[in-house]
Amino acid sequence: MVTNIQTQLLGRDVSFPVEESRFAYWLVVLRLIVGWWFLHAGLDKFLAWPFDASWFVGGAAAQTSLGPVVTLFSDGILLSFTNIMVPLGQTLIGLGLIVGALTRLAAFFGAFLMTFFYFINGETGGWAHGVITGDLLGLLIFAMIATLGAGRVLGVDAYLAKTSFVRDHPRLRYLIG
Amino acid sequence: MSQLTTMERVGLYGGGALILIGTVGMGLLEIIAGAPHPVSGEGQVVHETLISLSVRSYTILLGLLLLAAYGITNLATKPPEDTSI
Repeated sequence: MVTNIQTQLLGRDVSFPVEESRFAYWLVVLRLIVGWWFLHAGLDKFLAWPFDASWFVGGAAAQTSLGPVVTLFSDGILLSFTNIMVPLGQTLIGLGLIVGALTRLAAFFGAFLMTFFYFINGETGGWAHGVITGDLLGLLIFAMIATLGAGRVLGVDAYLAKTSFVRDHPRLRYLIG
Repeated sequence: MSQLTTMERVGLYGGGALILIGTVGMGLLEIIAGAPHPVSGEGQVVHETLISLSVRSYTILLGLLLLAAYGITNLATKPPEDTSI
């Protein structure tokens, strides 16, 4: 089966045919692998509780371009918030991707977290072999999952999209797959 | 497909261009005109950069922020085009 993708770039029609026989397969594989990556990262932190992010948001981040923002979270109540939200966020992002629920929202927050990992890990030595790192590729994969709305393939979002609530509030489609 | 507004163009094309300049563009410059990358005794590649890492970092970060602003503005201002699926 071939579908013509109607699309434009820089004001030009750049529509192209896509053979989509393996498209659904690939979206599900991608979602499951990236989902497990984050679910594992989140659960790992919960299983080894307490999690302390102060070395990252305080020590490592201080001299980086994100330092002025991130170091605000390096002590007090904001550090406690970070210590809970990082593992909880990673777990929920992972779960969201694996079951395909609120996939775009999960992917957005995945990209959000990866932005911090990318710059802080990179500027503290991770860019020794160039600025394209696994963290940046992870960020790009989250962006791709959000762009394609991958949760509609064998995911809860396929059901959510058909509910009358989502039909009545079409903007919610930006959050689901 | 609807035409992009000027703000959408700035977010999408500006953001994408800055990320590409920060990664590919400056990377090419480093390869062509940058300092050599000698390997130290421990096998580490020693980098003496032509463009400081913070300049690259801020360029890529600004690109990501523009893309995020495009996404959030889209979410806030208009419903998706296709609601059939």
